[in-house]
Amino acid sequence: MPAPFTTSAEPLTVSARNLTKTYWFHEKEPGLSGSLKALFRGRKKWVQAVQGIDLDLHAGELVGFIGPNGAGKTTTLKMLSGILCPNAGTIDVLGHVPHRREKAFLKKIAFVAGQRNRLYWDLPAEEYFQFCQVVYEIPHDRYQAAKKRLVEMADIGDILTVPQRKLSAGQRKRCELVAALLHDPRVIFLDEPTNALDLVNARKLREFIRAKARDGRHGILLTSHNMVDIGEVCDRLVIIHGGRIVFNGDLAALRQRFLPVKQIKILFDGPWERDELAQLGDLTRADIHEAVLEVETGATARVAALICSRFSIRDITIMEAPLERIIESIYARKGR
Amino acid sequence: MGRYARLFTLLCKLSLMRQMAYRPHFFLMVFGKVIRMVLLLLFFQAVFLKVDRLGQWTFDQVLLLFATFHLVDYIMSITFQRNLSYGLPALIQSGNLDSRIILPIHPLFMASLENIDMMDFISFIPCLGLLIYALHRLGFAFTWLQAVMYGLLIANALVFLFAVVLIIATISFWTTRSTGLARVFDDLTRVGRYPLDIFEGFWKFFFIYVLPLALISQMPSQALLGALSSGFLFYALACSVLLAVIAVRFWRTGLKNYSSTSS
Repeated sequence: MPAPFTTSAEPLTVSARNLTKTYWFHEKEPGLSGSLKALFRGRKKWVQAVQGIDLDLHAGELVGFIGPNGAGKTTTLKMLSGILCPNAGTIDVLGHVPHRREKAFLKKIAFVAGQRNRLYWDLPAEEYFQFCQVVYEIPHDRYQAAKKRLVEMADIGDILTVPQRKLSAGQRKRCELVAALLHDPRVIFLDEPTNALDLVNARKLREFIRAKARDGRHGILLTSHNMVDIGEVCDRLVIIHGGRIVFNGDLAALRQRFLPVKQIKILFDGPWERDELAQLGDLTRADIHEAVLEVETGATARVAALICSRFSIRDITIMEAPLERIIESIYARKGR
Repeated sequence: MGRYARLFTLLCKLSLMRQMAYRPHFFLMVFGKVIRMVLLLLFFQAVFLKVDRLGQWTFDQVLLLFATFHLVDYIMSITFQRNLSYGLPALIQSGNLDSRIILPIHPLFMASLENIDMMDFISFIPCLGLLIYALHRLGFAFTWLQAVMYGLLIANALVFLFAVVLIIATISFWTTRSTGLARVFDDLTRVGRYPLDIFEGFWKFFFIYVLPLALISQMPSQALLGALSSGFLFYALACSVLLAVIAVRFWRTGLKNYSSTSS
């Protein structure tokens, strides 16, 4: 089996081969009668959450792990971090088998789930940081230095004494990240870290993650439904769909393979003929003064010249197709 | 100080800080705990206004038994009982156990001791006072060996209770929700505050040999009073050790069966 695609020559931190996870649940029809039926004659339904995937992560790499809901992202992350045991396949994280949950392994990883908060709700983050210091046996000097650096990076210096319940979701998440990174983990698993954050907090969090990845010592695997997270911070993308990996490579390769188009945004000077423009490409947006046309990458210059000659325009911009469009097209293809 | 001792001290401190985070809640909790202890003593006194013996036990001996039972009960409720009986099923159901099992400490340590109920110390102190009072009424008539046996059997009772509570809590790995068995066990253990001589025939046999509640407070008290045979002593120790081994193995199987939740 060929090794998964990688852009890095750095040592491997995570290597998973033929990773498989199956789980089951009892199907339940709607209503009280459905509940009664499920109670006595519940039908087991098996789900293949992850189906024989291969995945590598190198030191210094920040990999975006994306897919639609239920694709198997979180299950994969939980297997890599040792929370779940795979049904088949092998995982090596820094020389450890994760599901054995050896102390040495657990001290080298961090798993942050965006929808969960493990900090003490009634107490300031500082108290949980101290708990981490004892649990991870961080020497006092190292703890102080790490805390100072991370608090600065996450911009939470002014909220360290505020109980968690009084903080916004974004502030809590940044506190959570600092707590998860105090022991300087080599491998960081982030599961939808910017989920439910406003634009400013999401940006702060992205900057924080990017800064962490830049030091070259950490391998970060990030899941997100927010394409800005992926496009702005990730070196490589792994796309999972229906429990299988459908793409593993960088953004340029992704565009080339799945949606080799550019978008031409046109601002018209006066009235324009919709049908005439639609003959030149896929019209993805159109209103009185503005339109966006999608054309194959090789034809961009020719089509742009035609638009300039045939229409009265005020401005024209050529853009890459947004990441969302590409991902949507992959999900749509696989869903068919 | 060892890492786990430091961690335990820190967990005590954090629990106390969390309970003090809301001022009215803290003072009402203190008030409630004091009232609870006073009511328990009033009930106990009311019983002995009517009778002067319970089974073969005199008032002073029952006082010792009662204080011993509550000593064990408070240590249990301050430490592992609520964490395992109610906290663990909630963690399993919500999937929040994820963040506990990836900490580099023994998962059973976190599951058992994450929330130390420091408020129960308020009731624990009068309970200690009651024990000293009972010993005073008994004229401190025990040898050093009997005192050591008493301490050993209290530790043994805690091991036994820990094992039973752990087995019940571990079932939640399969049932996902709390089973209610913990409440049944809470009620059953309360039988241990009375001399088991009050039971006859089958139930006496049941509470000594099948579900040996006798080892919670009766056997330690008997040891201090010099009325425990060595046969019963070894039986009590063997029971707890065996049950603890079974409980820990069962916990490991349960933990392997943990399926977490989706994100």
